[in-house]
Amino acid sequence: MNTSAFISVAVSTLLVGGAFWFISVKPDTDETNAGVPTALIIDGTQVIDISAKGGYSPRKVIARAGVPTILRVSTKGTFDCSASIIIPKLSYQKFLQPSGTEDIVIPAEKAQGTLQGLCSMGMYNFQIIFQ
Amino acid sequence: MHCNACVIFIEEAIKEVASVKSVNVSRAKNHITITGDFSDTPEKIAETLTALVHTHGYTISVDKVNASAQWGDFIYALPIAGVIILGFFLLQQAGLTSLITSSDVSYGTVFVIGLIASVSSCLAIVGGLVLSLSANSAKEGGTWRTQTLFHIGRLGGFFILGGLVGLLGNSLHLGLTANVVLGGIVALVMLILGINLLDIFHFTKKLQFTFPSAFSRHVVKGSKHDHYLAPVLVGIGTFFLPCGFTQSMQLYALSTGDFMQGALTMTVFALGTLPMLALLSFGSLNIAHKPWKGIFFKTVGTIVIALALLNLANALATAGIINPLFNF
Repeated sequence: MNTSAFISVAVSTLLVGGAFWFISVKPDTDETNAGVPTALIIDGTQVIDISAKGGYSPRKVIARAGVPTILRVSTKGTFDCSASIIIPKLSYQKFLQPSGTEDIVIPAEKAQGTLQGLCSMGMYNFQIIFQ
Repeated sequence: MHCNACVIFIEEAIKEVASVKSVNVSRAKNHITITGDFSDTPEKIAETLTALVHTHGYTISVDKVNASAQWGDFIYALPIAGVIILGFFLLQQAGLTSLITSSDVSYGTVFVIGLIASVSSCLAIVGGLVLSLSANSAKEGGTWRTQTLFHIGRLGGFFILGGLVGLLGNSLHLGLTANVVLGGIVALVMLILGINLLDIFHFTKKLQFTFPSAFSRHVVKGSKHDHYLAPVLVGIGTFFLPCGFTQSMQLYALSTGDFMQGALTMTVFALGTLPMLALLSFGSLNIAHKPWKGIFFKTVGTIVIALALLNLANALATAGIINPLFNF
């Protein structure tokens, strides 16, 4: 009885722990952010492209701080949660059309620190790091 | 005892007995006080009175019945729940959403979107709620009627509300704050229902959502034991649950600008989600009468609690209170 209880708890902990580890947002092991795409600056405006379908891609973008920025989110047959985009820091919420692009304007003074975007249920997210 | 209606039902049944002067049932304490002129021993009286309510699953006894928590069931329940939770997360990583390739929306596409929605992330919120409600209902002796009414309410609600969205050209989906609050409330309801399914703490029974006595009295007169209205209302209410797919479909229904098209879009979508949701609700009803039901309820309870915590973390993340913990 006690042995089986112990095995049961151990197996469950392993399974659930594994499941949560699998979907958890992993902390950066690489502080230099190598391989992370960087936003382009064209005519003084920074443009960040993110595609939304079954999540956001890229999940992490490095941008320059204090530059007027446009976040361009494109959808293509997107009916899942990622069409419902929320950026808490900007108090921004919008339902995107299933196919199209949406320009989200980020003024220079808001282009600071880390900007976190999510879908309305919270299971997909992306980050823009202004530095 | 689960609801105020049950309290009234028991009181009414016992009152019928000639020798009974007064009856008082306490739901919180699972306690009944009967006064009257009896000649038998208390044990014998309890036995006679039990006969009146036994068909509805109640037993009256003089001794306090200590419901055993049956911890042994957890030996099977926990690993099974673990496997299902892991399976659910793996399913989310499988990229089901990429199955939707078409960007123009036909009723066929809408049906497929419904099918995918019912096994995707929406399963965590809508499925979790359906599972916790139906398992609780089955546990307390609910019938197939309760479950069917829920699904009828859901389909009917999607038809009418979808039509209204199309007709009025006004989206019924909620704002940012309302979305977060609703997500939080759903998570808490699931948490309470989940703990209740585990059947180890008795305090959550007091926290259960119950209708006021006056309302129950009204409903109980017409239908004796089962509620008619509550499951239908819950079914309609699922229209507003924060599920991304439902909301995209609402947006599409809105763009049609027509009652019938909006109504049909939402109904077809709800039909697409029906197989999975029906499996959850009728499945739990079926298993509730199997000998291993104890393991089943503890498994479901564990899963529901895990999903509730996931929803709660997501609601807090969308509010910007905490950083997102998960990414599917």
